[in-house]
Amino acid sequence: MLRYALGRLVEMVPVLLGTALLVFSMIHLVPGDPALLIAGLEASPQTIERAREQFGLDRPLPVQFWRFLAGAMTGDLGMSFRTGSPVVEEIVDRFGHTFIIALGATLLATAAGMLAGTIAAVRRNRLADGVVMVMALVAVSTPSYWLALMLMLCFSLWWGLLPSIGVATPWHYVLPIVTLGAQSAGIIARMTRSAMLDVLAQEYVATARAKGVAEGVVIVRHALRNALVPVLSVVGLRFGGLLAGTVLVESVFAIPGLGRLIVDAVLLRDYPMVQGAVLVVATLFIVVNALTDILYTVVDPRVRLA
Amino acid sequence: MRSHGTRIGSHSPAAVAVLLAAFGAGCTAEPASPAAERDTLVFASSADATTLDPHNTTDTQSDQVIWMVYNALIRYDPEMNIVGDLAESWEMSEDELTWTFHLREGVRFHDGSPFTAESVKRNFDRVLDPGQGHKRLSLFEAIERVEVVDPRTVRIITKFPFGAFEPTMAHVSAAIVNPEVADRYGSDFGLTPEATSGTGPYKVVSWRKDQEIVLERNDDYWGEPGRLARIVYRPIPEAASRVIALESADVDVITHIPPRDVARLDGLPGIQVLKGMSIGAQMFRFNCVRGPLADPRVRLAIAYAVDRRAIVDNLVAGLAVPSTGPLTPIMRGRADLGEFPHDPDKARALLADAGYPEGFETTISTTPRYNMGVELAEALAAQLRDVGITARIEVLEWGAMRQFWGGIRPEDNPQEIFIMGAGASSADADWGLRPVYMTTPTGTNENNYGYYSNAEFDDLVMRAMQEADRTERETLYQRAQEIVYLEDPPGIWLYDNFYVVGARSNVQDITTSPLGVVTFEAASFVPES
Repeated sequence: MLRYALGRLVEMVPVLLGTALLVFSMIHLVPGDPALLIAGLEASPQTIERAREQFGLDRPLPVQFWRFLAGAMTGDLGMSFRTGSPVVEEIVDRFGHTFIIALGATLLATAAGMLAGTIAAVRRNRLADGVVMVMALVAVSTPSYWLALMLMLCFSLWWGLLPSIGVATPWHYVLPIVTLGAQSAGIIARMTRSAMLDVLAQEYVATARAKGVAEGVVIVRHALRNALVPVLSVVGLRFGGLLAGTVLVESVFAIPGLGRLIVDAVLLRDYPMVQGAVLVVATLFIVVNALTDILYTVVDPRVRLA
Repeated sequence: MRSHGTRIGSHSPAAVAVLLAAFGAGCTAEPASPAAERDTLVFASSADATTLDPHNTTDTQSDQVIWMVYNALIRYDPEMNIVGDLAESWEMSEDELTWTFHLREGVRFHDGSPFTAESVKRNFDRVLDPGQGHKRLSLFEAIERVEVVDPRTVRIITKFPFGAFEPTMAHVSAAIVNPEVADRYGSDFGLTPEATSGTGPYKVVSWRKDQEIVLERNDDYWGEPGRLARIVYRPIPEAASRVIALESADVDVITHIPPRDVARLDGLPGIQVLKGMSIGAQMFRFNCVRGPLADPRVRLAIAYAVDRRAIVDNLVAGLAVPSTGPLTPIMRGRADLGEFPHDPDKARALLADAGYPEGFETTISTTPRYNMGVELAEALAAQLRDVGITARIEVLEWGAMRQFWGGIRPEDNPQEIFIMGAGASSADADWGLRPVYMTTPTGTNENNYGYYSNAEFDDLVMRAMQEADRTERETLYQRAQEIVYLEDPPGIWLYDNFYVVGARSNVQDITTSPLGVVTFEAASFVPES
């Protein structure tokens, strides 16, 4: 196990290096001058020139890349062009909110999705199956932006049950988590259903039933556990994607999260912030993937770590 | 207060308990107490402040908070007269170069240190120091030096008789910062609550980035104390969310309301909508050195081709009025030159005269960053087609648009007709005309984004900048505005914007300034009956 983890750690290095090079090139290639954008429309040419020097934009590109990389290796991701605060500080400030929402959405989606998918598989081709699959389809097809506003209208404005914006209390996280989890729940429901159908058709399930094992136990102990592997892959991938993709939900619910931070930074060409934040998210994504792989061995003892 | 709506049918005590708990927790999440007079106001704007250092601010979200935390020597009152703030009185010398300010007594900064003439000197030394590189340095370039006469008297000496001196000293960036705190934090001043210190009616107690800024009343304020004990600024970037938050009373005041929501909000019980004239106008500018647009007759033709009334009525009804000059009505030194006539025949005649009887092809560049940016370009293109000009529309993201505005040589600038916002943050003709329309010395476009050049105009605004006599100034600016508006246009002015604020009905005495900020030094809640 330890050797495996170390191996994955070593693999991370070239991936992150490639990511750093990619994000650096992309953000520099996009038209738009950070000095102009941040100095404001009423700035004089001298102010803009001074901003350019301050940001190190007058240095050749390889020098700028090296400064970024060297800093990143020591944990210093530079200073944000926009606020002047250290990038690491800004990311740490925001990360908690995004993490809670992404994690909450994943857990909700997994629980709800697996429950729905199991019901659909067990009640296959009956009413429950149809209802669940339609709901899953709706969940997958609904744009998160629209869903967010609809939930806010219903639960905050019309029924006054939940707060609409911000992160002041735990209740503030409910609507964002539900919004973000909806799409994933739909996907997981469908995956679970098809995986369960596969497993329920297996001989050992028939054997278990013949032995007189209670149906509930058959479904959960024998079938569901074996259906978990494909579902796990989906969950792992979705969590990583959710981490980076919360921006719409963060914008609608005014949550000070990482998604908004990255988008705002891109729009203002805040190079250090974009580079640093993307690197952090990439690292997290790799870690989550590695953990998912390790989790396979727990779920399915037949799988050996490479 | 939240509307309770219908109670969802409760079938079991458990369900009721859960609902009540959710509702109760939601209620306690609100910052205010229901009984007695509420003393905390929550304001939501479209973005977080970037800095609370007045010498470095370039956006209205930062300005809004800065106005509550600092004072300047003089300021604009709601009717746009200049009155004393930290200065009780001031006068200009005979040679028009020296301004003497007599300062209030007994004023202290938030940390208790006294405000004196020395504070003023150190404040302006700071913003003028090229080594520190503050963004607002260029605004104060006319200042030669500041002298302390005695603790209550300070002299500001200008390099030349500066006609726009008073509006410049009433600008948000002329606010006086606590020199001790500024020295201690250097370039970090204004980025955290500890590093922010002024003399204003409120002080910053916390700032969680992108989340909220909390101000508390300064009980030692030298002037009229604020009625509210706390003010909370919450950035809500999504416009629809902002409106919902106001309707559900999660926030008390909002700005940047989408046009179609303004009329609806106005009719809702529990909500009031405040409107006033602002310094901002919407225009399109020309690249005056490119193709057919280099001929003033062509540019004038385009001005005649545009139907401003139709644009206002269809796109921004209730939120703007057609322009009557290159400066909005509340700006100092502005001339009222009437609505520009819509005359397609005259436009065609001018085009023929300039050698384009069949019209020509051009490109309109726009960005959705300006309200209705894309729709305006489409309207313009349709109106130009009427006179034979075929315009292709190019929609750009802000960063891509902005990169052509500043330091670009004409041969590297492909823009032809492009959208632009007009408005000077000092509410004065000098800042609103000179940097944007005067011929640039370098030949790149600097702040004159369209390479406009008119020798008579240059002469007029240079003389007016150095003219201290108000009447003489106004005569010079009158002629300058006639040139750009009626004779040799650098662009077309479409409409002057209102500044719109939405608030709960129980908030009173909100101060809306045409400068585009809303402040709460006199605001309070109507007591519950």
